[in-house]
Amino acid sequence: MNDYTDYVIAAYAVFFVVLGWDFVSTRLQIRRELRNARMRVARAAARTPSNPQSTSELSR
Amino acid sequence: MNPLLRWFHQLGSPPYFDRFAARWAPWAYGLGLLVMAWGLYGALFVVPADYQQGNSFRILYIHVPSAWMSMAVFGLMAVYAAIALVWRIKLCEILAMACAPIGAGFTLITLLTGAIWGKPMWGTWWDWDPRLTTELILLFLYLGVIGLYNAIDDRRAAARAAGFLAIVGVVLLPVIRYSVVWWNSLHQGQTIRLLGESTMDASMIQPLIWMIIGTKLWFIGALLMRARADNLRRESGKAWVAGLAAAADGPKP
Repeated sequence: MNDYTDYVIAAYAVFFVVLGWDFVSTRLQIRRELRNARMRVARAAARTPSNPQSTSELSR
Repeated sequence: MNPLLRWFHQLGSPPYFDRFAARWAPWAYGLGLLVMAWGLYGALFVVPADYQQGNSFRILYIHVPSAWMSMAVFGLMAVYAAIALVWRIKLCEILAMACAPIGAGFTLITLLTGAIWGKPMWGTWWDWDPRLTTELILLFLYLGVIGLYNAIDDRRAAARAAGFLAIVGVVLLPVIRYSVVWWNSLHQGQTIRLLGESTMDASMIQPLIWMIIGTKLWFIGALLMRARADNLRRESGKAWVAGLAAAADGPKP
């Protein structure tokens, strides 16, 4: 390629950056949702009275 | 019950859909990448340079499939939104809303690659041409759907409001499609026809077909993954999500 090569490279870069962003952002979103679910479970477990750590906190 | 009908009913179950999306999305992404790689090889290294446009015409191999996807995804989003509004199917709400960011991405690619091609060919990055302007409005519609969906806390109410916007916005699609026919446009007319003879040379079309197939496969992967993420968000309080999160975390030492 000898003419307009810069334009072609720029256009293909846009294509890959946008598709790459779409791929990565979705992965991160799924990871975030699963982390939130884990934290929710952890919070629920900490609130349960049978949990020895939470009872010791209350008895203090 | 018809097995296909039963499968559709099963797909409406959030845990079932999650497993389905997690299983098939990587395949769609992988196949899409392979097909696009083959198409790009043809577009960049096999097809000869255009006698008038030189190598700049190679931008067409990403611009045209993205433009087609920008409109097809909007149409699909409107169909999902209509089904969700009429039959209140939650999965269709999720799929409709998952279409929006992907479609916006393809529209952005269309506008930017068009501008990059336009600079050496038309001598300008942008012109308020009917095709360009309507495509820009399409991007704003996508952003409107995304914004509306995220502006309302109640996910179902948000999906209904944004879905309604998608259904109303679908009237723009024929305007984009026929803008080069209805108005005197700087943008070239239709050169590639799926049915009928194209005005583009046959030797140049094959990579384009691969790119069109590849972007569609990529879209299927992206749609499944985005829908999976939204499904997890909506179901975050449910036991199956907690189980999945614990499994994803792996065994603790």
